[in-house]
Amino acid sequence: MRDLLHHPLTFRLAALATIVLVITATFQAITPSYLSMSNFTAILRAMALNGVVALGLTFVIVLRKFDLSLAGVASLSAMTLGFAIQETNSLAFSMMACMAIGMVAGAVNGLLVGKFRLPDVVSTIAIGSICAGLAWIYNDGATFSQNFFSSGMVLFNTNRFFGIQMPVVVLIITAILTFLILHTTRFGNAFYASGENETATRYSGISVAGVSLVGFAICGALTALAMVLHVSGIGSARVTAGGQIMLPAYTSVYLGAALLSRPSVPATLVGAFLMTLLLNGFTLMSVPYYYSDAVVSLILIVAIVMFDPRILKVLRRPQTLLFKQSRAT
Amino acid sequence: MALTDIFRVFGLPLLLLGLIVLFAVNTGAFLTPTNLAGLAQSVAISILLFVGMTWIFTIGEIDVSFVAVAALANMIAAGLVNAGLGWPMATLISLVAALSIGLANGFLVAVMGLPSLITTIATGGIASALAAAVGLGSSVAIIEPSFLQVLFDVRFGIIPLVLIVALLVTAVLWYVQEKLTLGHYVFAMATNPRAVLEAGVPTARITVILFTFSAVLSGFAGVLIAVELSSGQPSIAGSLFIDGLTAVLLGGTMLKLGKPNIIGTVVGVLIIAVLVRGGALLGWSAPDFQIIKGGLLLVGVSVVVWTNRRDFMR
Repeated sequence: MRDLLHHPLTFRLAALATIVLVITATFQAITPSYLSMSNFTAILRAMALNGVVALGLTFVIVLRKFDLSLAGVASLSAMTLGFAIQETNSLAFSMMACMAIGMVAGAVNGLLVGKFRLPDVVSTIAIGSICAGLAWIYNDGATFSQNFFSSGMVLFNTNRFFGIQMPVVVLIITAILTFLILHTTRFGNAFYASGENETATRYSGISVAGVSLVGFAICGALTALAMVLHVSGIGSARVTAGGQIMLPAYTSVYLGAALLSRPSVPATLVGAFLMTLLLNGFTLMSVPYYYSDAVVSLILIVAIVMFDPRILKVLRRPQTLLFKQSRAT
Repeated sequence: MALTDIFRVFGLPLLLLGLIVLFAVNTGAFLTPTNLAGLAQSVAISILLFVGMTWIFTIGEIDVSFVAVAALANMIAAGLVNAGLGWPMATLISLVAALSIGLANGFLVAVMGLPSLITTIATGGIASALAAAVGLGSSVAIIEPSFLQVLFDVRFGIIPLVLIVALLVTAVLWYVQEKLTLGHYVFAMATNPRAVLEAGVPTARITVILFTFSAVLSGFAGVLIAVELSSGQPSIAGSLFIDGLTAVLLGGTMLKLGKPNIIGTVVGVLIIAVLVRGGALLGWSAPDFQIIKGGLLLVGVSVVVWTNRRDFMR
C-alpha cells in the first residue's frame, strides 16, 4: 500500500484526475450544459481530429524532430480528397488517395531529414509551403463539395459503429495501431533510441534514415486521415483546411509528455483529451477564438517548461515535494 | 580561389542579376520607375523585418514568432492611435510590446534552456492572439496620419527615405558583425558554443540580446506596415513567414562559410522581392509563389548543409 502510494504513476494519475476535475467543475459552474451527454459526444468528436494529428506528430517528436509541414500537407490532402470524391464518387478510394498523398508528403520530409540529413525545421517548412501551393492546382483553390452526399462523405462523420460515433472509432483504431507500433515492437523502440542518440542507434545496426522515413510518413498519413474527419465534418474540402491544426497538435503532444514524463501514445491521448476539454469549454462560453489560441499557446509553454529535464527531475519523484521523505536513489 | 569560394561570393548576386534580366526581358513593366519604387518600399520593410533574425539563425537557434510580433506591434499601434493616444506614444508602446515578446523568447531559450522552435511557436501564438484581440478579430482602419509617413513620402528619385533608413540599419549591423566583439562572439558561437562559453563569453546574455533586438526591429517593421496600409492587420500577409526564412537561409549560402550573415540576408531579401514583383507581372499566382519559395528554401538549406559538411571533411 505504501509502495503504491509512492509509485510515481499513482501521483501522476491523481494529478491528472485533479486537473480534469478542476477543468470540468469550472466549466460546469459557468455553463450548465458542459456535463451533458451531447456535449460529451461533441468533446470526443473534437478530440478525434486533434488526437489523430497529434498521434502522428508523436512519432516525429519521439524522434526529437519537428514537422512544420502539417498545415500544408493537411491542405493538400483535403483538396485531394475533395477532388477524388468529385471525380470517382467512391469514398474508400478517395480516402485512400488522401492518405496516400499525406504519406508521400511525409515520406519526402523523412527522406530529406533522415537520408539527406537536412535540418528538420527548415526542410519541413519548405515542403509545407510546396504542399500548400500544390493544394491549389486541383480547382484553382475553389471549394469541393460535389458528390459529397452520394458518396457517403457527409454521412461518414455521423455514422455509428456499434453505437460509437465514426470519428471516435477512427481515433480508437488509430490509437491502438500506433500503440502497437510504438510500444510493443522493436521497431517502436528504434524510434526512442534514435531520438535519444542517433549515432549510437546507427552503430547498433538500426537504420536511422529508415526510422525517420517511416516516422514522418506516419505523421503525414495521419494528418491526412484527420482531414478526412475534418472534411466530412464541414461537408466540403477547402484549401484553408489545415490552418488551425498545428498549435493544438503540438500542445497535445507536449502536454501529454510533460504529464506522463515522455512522449508516447497514451501521453498524447491524455494531452489531446485535456486540450479538448478546455477548448470545448471555451467554445460553450463563446470565448472568441483568439483568446483560446492564447490559452493553448500558454499551455504549450507550461508544458515545455515541465518537459524540461531539470524540472522533470522534480516531477519524476513528485511525492518528495509532499512527503519530504525521498527514497534513497 | 576554389570554385566553391567563387560560388559563395558571387552565386547569389548572379542569381539576383539573372532574375532581374529575366523579368526585364519578359515583362515591359519591370524596369519602370513605378515598379522599382514599389520594389524599393517592399525591400525596405522586409529588410527591417528580417535582418534582425539573421544572427539568431547564425547561433543555431530559430525564431518563428517574428511575423506575429510584427502583427502585434502593428495592431497595438493601430488600436492606440484610434484610441486617441497619438502616433509617437502608440509607436513607443508597440515597440515595448515587441520588446517584451523578444525578452520572453530570449529568457525562455537562453536562461531556461528551452528549445527555441517550440518556444517561439508558443510565444508567437500568444502574440498573434493578442494582435487579433486588439481588433476583436478584424482589422482596424486608421484615419489619423502618422509622423512616420514621411519615411514613405520623402523620395530621392525613386528611392524612398524608408529604404535609406533600412540600409543605414544594415550598415550599422554589418559594422557590428565585422568590427565589434559582439559580432565575433556571435560567429564564434556558431562554430563552437561550448568553447565560447568556457572562454568566459556570456552566451546567454548575447542570446537574450539577439532575440530582443530582432523582436524590436520586427515590431518597428510592423508599425511601418500600419503606416503604409493606414490600417492594422491582425494577420499581416502570412507569406512573410516563409519569405523571412528563405531570405535568411538563402543568404546564409553567401559569404561567412555558409553561416547566415547580414549582407547575405539583404541579398536574400532582394531576390525574394524581385521574384515576387517580377512573378506578379508575369501573372504568377499566390500558390505558384508558395511552390517556388518552398523550392528556393530547400535549395538554400541544401547548399548550406552541403558546404558546411565539405568544410568539416577537410
